[in-house]
Amino acid sequence: MYRGERKSIFYVLGLYLSSTLLLITTIFVSYYYYERDQFEHSEKDLLKKQTFLLTQQLSKLNENSSDRYKYPRFDEFESAIYDIDKNLIFSTSKDISITNSKDSFFTKASNSYLISPLTPYYFGAAFIVVEKKSKNLDILDNLIFIAIVTIIITLITSVFLVNLVLRPIRENIKLLDSFIKDTTHELNTPITAILTNIETINSSSCDEKALRKLQRIKIASQSISNIYEDLVYILLNHKTSTQNIDLDLSKILIQRIEYFTNMAQAKNIDFVLDAKDEIHFKADKKKMQRLIDNLLSNAIKYSNKDTTIKILLSENSLSIEDEGKGMSEQEVEKIFTRYLRFDKSQGGFGIGYSIIKSIVDEYNIKIDITSKQKQGTKVTLSW
Amino acid sequence: MVRLLSFFLLFYITLSASEFDKNCFDCHSKDFKFHIIINKYTLKYSSEQKIKEAMVDYLKSPSIEKSILPLEYIQKFGLKEKSPLDDKTLREMIDIYYEKFNLQSKIY
Repeated sequence: MYRGERKSIFYVLGLYLSSTLLLITTIFVSYYYYERDQFEHSEKDLLKKQTFLLTQQLSKLNENSSDRYKYPRFDEFESAIYDIDKNLIFSTSKDISITNSKDSFFTKASNSYLISPLTPYYFGAAFIVVEKKSKNLDILDNLIFIAIVTIIITLITSVFLVNLVLRPIRENIKLLDSFIKDTTHELNTPITAILTNIETINSSSCDEKALRKLQRIKIASQSISNIYEDLVYILLNHKTSTQNIDLDLSKILIQRIEYFTNMAQAKNIDFVLDAKDEIHFKADKKKMQRLIDNLLSNAIKYSNKDTTIKILLSENSLSIEDEGKGMSEQEVEKIFTRYLRFDKSQGGFGIGYSIIKSIVDEYNIKIDITSKQKQGTKVTLSW
Repeated sequence: MVRLLSFFLLFYITLSASEFDKNCFDCHSKDFKFHIIINKYTLKYSSEQKIKEAMVDYLKSPSIEKSILPLEYIQKFGLKEKSPLDDKTLREMIDIYYEKFNLQSKIY
């Protein structure tokens, strides 16, 4: 899986899941409140009927003249009456109290209550409170269960969806990779042939004009060879066996500088090398060559004509500083993205820094890029 | 000491009761359905405090608006005269009346 692909998967998954979850939550919460309202409504309705019954009984009782009045009692509910100052007149239950309640309907400790005003005030009762055992609204457990199932289904579908969305991108990248692979394969033989043949030409037998042309051919072939090596590295990255041996970095650096001298001279670029001898580092030789080659070829590629490239190798660091066009901060941030080239006027596939990054990461080398536009770029590796 | 206190209490109650007989039952004779008045007041004013306040207010300055009697009764018997009792006595009499006749204490 590519770096960008993983990022896309996370973005798409995140977006899809969060929006779906938001929708599910909204629907479920709305449904729950709707059901609760319905439940309250039916409870309230029942309590209203009971209040009406009680009011009728109180009215009848009030019409009689008697020394004692038996308060009406019902099996289905408890009740209490309060005067206008909310003082209790009579109650059939200890639990009933209206001192703190603001709403006419409320539930408390699995009981439902309804407070209703009463006029005229039979026995001074200005408020009737009716209490009944409330039924349980047991939809919450079911709702949570359904929500979990829905979320799981959403998760599964979102993975399918992401795969569906990414399929064309994956196919494109695969196509690009296979194209490069095929091209690379076809390039190998001619490049080797060109380079070998140039080496075998006797320079003394050529006139100066032909020698210059040969030199140009050699540089061009070296560039192609470089690209070829990069592509092979990228394509066979996970298939080549790594042989970490003790390397003399100073020696390799000098070799690689010599290799690039012709290319640098074409732009009249001088290498200023300040390297300590015998700097050892344990790594795979090919990989270190690719690392140095890419740093050098980038420095040459983006350097202005008639400038110098300063190379400094010390015990724990290697820095290569060019005097080229430099990069902006945003460009530096994005530099390790594969196939990204800021300057399309220069050749290459934009895989140089991708290779650099993979190698420095492998060997825990810290890479630091400082760049100023129109002044140049300095790449420092430290270990 | 307790005896003395009990004696004074008994004396006070008897005195108050006789005062109530004198001040109220003189006109509202015993066969009169005295409890109907508190029934009407309870239906209209609900709480003890409000009932007593309304009674005091009416007895001190009676008016058709304040009366709880139906208009036909007022037209037939006329408005009650202003009570000659002083404020303190009037309130005491109303307290006794409420104590004797209130409906809420009769509910069981």
